[in-house]
Amino acid sequence: MRKLLSPPQARRRRALRAAAAVAAGCIAPALRAQGAPVRRVVAVGGSLTETVYALGAEAELVGVDTTSIYPPQAAQLPRVGYLRQLSAEGVLSLRPTLVVAAASVGPPAVVRQLQAARVGFELFDTDHRLDGVLAMARRLGGVLGRADAGERLAAQIADDFARAQREVAALNAGRAPLRVLFVLSHTPHQVQIGGAGTAADAVITLAGARNALAGMRGFRPLTPEAAIAAAPDLILVTTQGLRQAGGVDGLLRAPGLAATAAGRARRVAALDALLLLGFGPRLPQAVGDLAQALHAAAPARG
Amino acid sequence: MAAHAEVAGAAVARAVPAVSTAVPGAWWVGLGLGAALLLALLAAAMSGAVAVQWSDWAALAQAERSGGALVLWELRLPRALFAAAVGAALGLAGALAQGLFRNPLADPGLLGVTAGAVCAVALVLTFFATVAAGLPPAWRPWVLPLAAFGGALAVCFVLDGVARWLMPGSIAGLLLTGLALNALAGAVVGLSVYVADDEQLRSLTFWTLGSLAGASWPVVGLLGLALAIGLWQGARLAKALNALALGESAAAHVGVDVQRLRTRLIVSVALLAALAVAWSGLIGFIGLMAPHLVRGVVGADHRAVLPLSALAGALLLLLADTVARTVVIPAELPVGIVTALIGAPVFMLLLRRMALRQGGHA
Amino acid sequence: MNAPYDLTAAVARAPAEAAAAEAPLLELRAATVRVPGREFGPFDLRLAAGERVAILGPSGAGKSTLLKLMAGERSAAAGSVWLAGAALNGQPLARMARRRAVLPQAHAVAFGMAVELIVGLGRYAIEPDAQRTRIVAEALATAHAAHLVGRRFDTLSGGEQARVQLARVMAQLWDVQGALLLVDEPLAALDPGLQIELLEAITDYAARRGHALVAIVHDINQALAGFDRLWLVQDGRLAGDLKPGRAALPRLAELFGVELQWVGDAQHFAVAVRRRSTAGAA
Repeated sequence: MRKLLSPPQARRRRALRAAAAVAAGCIAPALRAQGAPVRRVVAVGGSLTETVYALGAEAELVGVDTTSIYPPQAAQLPRVGYLRQLSAEGVLSLRPTLVVAAASVGPPAVVRQLQAARVGFELFDTDHRLDGVLAMARRLGGVLGRADAGERLAAQIADDFARAQREVAALNAGRAPLRVLFVLSHTPHQVQIGGAGTAADAVITLAGARNALAGMRGFRPLTPEAAIAAAPDLILVTTQGLRQAGGVDGLLRAPGLAATAAGRARRVAALDALLLLGFGPRLPQAVGDLAQALHAAAPARG
Repeated sequence: MAAHAEVAGAAVARAVPAVSTAVPGAWWVGLGLGAALLLALLAAAMSGAVAVQWSDWAALAQAERSGGALVLWELRLPRALFAAAVGAALGLAGALAQGLFRNPLADPGLLGVTAGAVCAVALVLTFFATVAAGLPPAWRPWVLPLAAFGGALAVCFVLDGVARWLMPGSIAGLLLTGLALNALAGAVVGLSVYVADDEQLRSLTFWTLGSLAGASWPVVGLLGLALAIGLWQGARLAKALNALALGESAAAHVGVDVQRLRTRLIVSVALLAALAVAWSGLIGFIGLMAPHLVRGVVGADHRAVLPLSALAGALLLLLADTVARTVVIPAELPVGIVTALIGAPVFMLLLRRMALRQGGHA
Repeated sequence: MNAPYDLTAAVARAPAEAAAAEAPLLELRAATVRVPGREFGPFDLRLAAGERVAILGPSGAGKSTLLKLMAGERSAAAGSVWLAGAALNGQPLARMARRRAVLPQAHAVAFGMAVELIVGLGRYAIEPDAQRTRIVAEALATAHAAHLVGRRFDTLSGGEQARVQLARVMAQLWDVQGALLLVDEPLAALDPGLQIELLEAITDYAARRGHALVAIVHDINQALAGFDRLWLVQDGRLAGDLKPGRAALPRLAELFGVELQWVGDAQHFAVAVRRRSTAGAA
């Protein structure tokens, strides 16, 4: 038996039905395209978050960690903590169906707890090579049910990278590779320089320059002897690190830097940390930007 | 009058209210603390980033847990019990250390426990990183706790041995040697920091800030067992600790075997503190605050102070951890920061009270 | 100026003669203590139950070391020490605690414990101890400290703390006979009236139980009036074993490097202490 509605009630009911139809019309195609229940993804690691956006899957992203600073929209998402100090409950409170994390995620106890909570967990190893970036794009695409998008992204990155390599070759034609010293400063007392085997070393090489500290592995504390022995043409920092050090003036107060040729001529280049060191989908852009920045700040050559 | 002093004394004794050396008030305090602890456990289990309902408690009994019940069983309950156990261990170790050094400002760190643990962890994270990475995955969760535990114990026993050799028979010598060894351990840690790379540095920093995220049922069981043993040992040593407060030689005169007592105390403090540090990193001030607060309420009789310090420590750390977990949801603060933030002002208040009291008596 | 003392009534009941025929309570046979750079001894001394001995000597002479030797706190590098017929070295601590008690010079107790708890600690080695509560109360009363029950030790004055420690030591040997009571200048910080009261209390307590009393004393008048024997210690050696009285004055004057004058008669006397007027004296 249908109830008789007053005119206002009838209008309200018609409006609700219309809204429901519109909503169904929007969701249904998406559901049909997925053919699966709604995915809720937590991304831990700046490069992974970038890749999720590059794959067009950002609608499924419900939370990120504090190293996910690009693109800027990622800053609006709930933060589950620092990459190496996650909160298990924090992640679980977002009711994720999948967690994608860089290999250095921690603490190990939290990782085990998340795995025990039967939340899908995918670890992505870091690789400081183009192949690693392409593999990450493909694998993440597969994991997110967007294998095609993953392939397309990988192909795009590879193309862009090839173009960037040509640009690098052109910029560096006919000159010896520049000696670049990468400086990492957490605090004024803990200034370190990057040797072989670091992300900085890899990207410097890709940009056609040479790591002035190639003889050592990993990070070493900056000392005047080390800086002078390195004899860099250029000093490379991240923009965040430069800001923290107090600009070029503050940076050059670090022990030994002012004594180098690069320091005396104030040849300092700075790039965004995630772009430069993240080895994510923007790698081609990073290589290109770095090559140009080095070229711009390089000593004049005949 | 003098000739009949003793007869008069007996008469006076009958008139004086019954002088009891037991501590009846302590039982009430213990009950109160115990009830507060149970409430705190309940509150800790119910609060956090994930919403847990009362119905989830019933769902615990099911074989397949999910949602709130899963979080309750896998995360909340182990963590709450772990926090209580670590707090109790730290409180008890603190009370024992204060009894050993006869000083209310002592804590297990003076015996080199924390220095040894940080030292070992720093070494494993930096110099022995490649060795650790080569271990089979099943062993990896145990590497840092084992290193911390081993380091804490090793430094403690080295300290005891060196102190015996340098200044035999003196507990004050223990303190002085401890200061030297702490400095040495600090130097080793400094060296590790010097050679550490970015990642290792971050890992070490976070470890030293203290965290109770590593809780799991096996660890809770282990710690509970150690705590039971520690409390039992404490009950046996309480009377001797009271006598030790008279001074080492006076204690020997009334029949205390001071050397044996010292050894047993060091072993107890070392084991309790090392276990606590192994899984939770450095959590400060609990070992200092809990016995102080207890002594302020029930007096200095160790038969009450030891078990009540354990209860108080459990309550304090549980509250601190609940705060750490809920104040920046969905992230969480390292609990060592919370205990220091609360502990430092409380410590200063206690110092002031002590100073006032010392100046007070004629 | 020292006031005349009159302790004869208080000590009237104490056993007058040393039981020289019985085995001595405490015996030191050529006992020597060695610390880096110094040697104390050898001491050859015999002490019977019920005797009261005052140890006198200048600062640094070795009085405390001698006391520690007798207490078993320092072991003899050479020679031996015997207490109640058994060598002091190697006796179980609980047994020793029933045979000798030491009242130290320093009174500090950590943590501000309750007075009755501290007195009860004197009976630490006694298990089981059904009489503890009663003995603690009586000991406090005997030491004139019954009014301090329930107080925290660190809120007491110096004199009150001394009395509580005395009560503790009394409680330790309360229910035994013929033990050794060693006392290291405990009355120093007390007012004269309290000094007299406590000295009477100690002596009476020891006399009732036949305890021997050995005390380091700095007050010559106290030594002469309240004890049966004087042991003079100088430069780490025993410089004299005398009976107190007028005849002991020359040795005492030489020991301390002062001038002593006997004032009064044998019953009511005082000894006046003055600086040496002659040149070349200490």
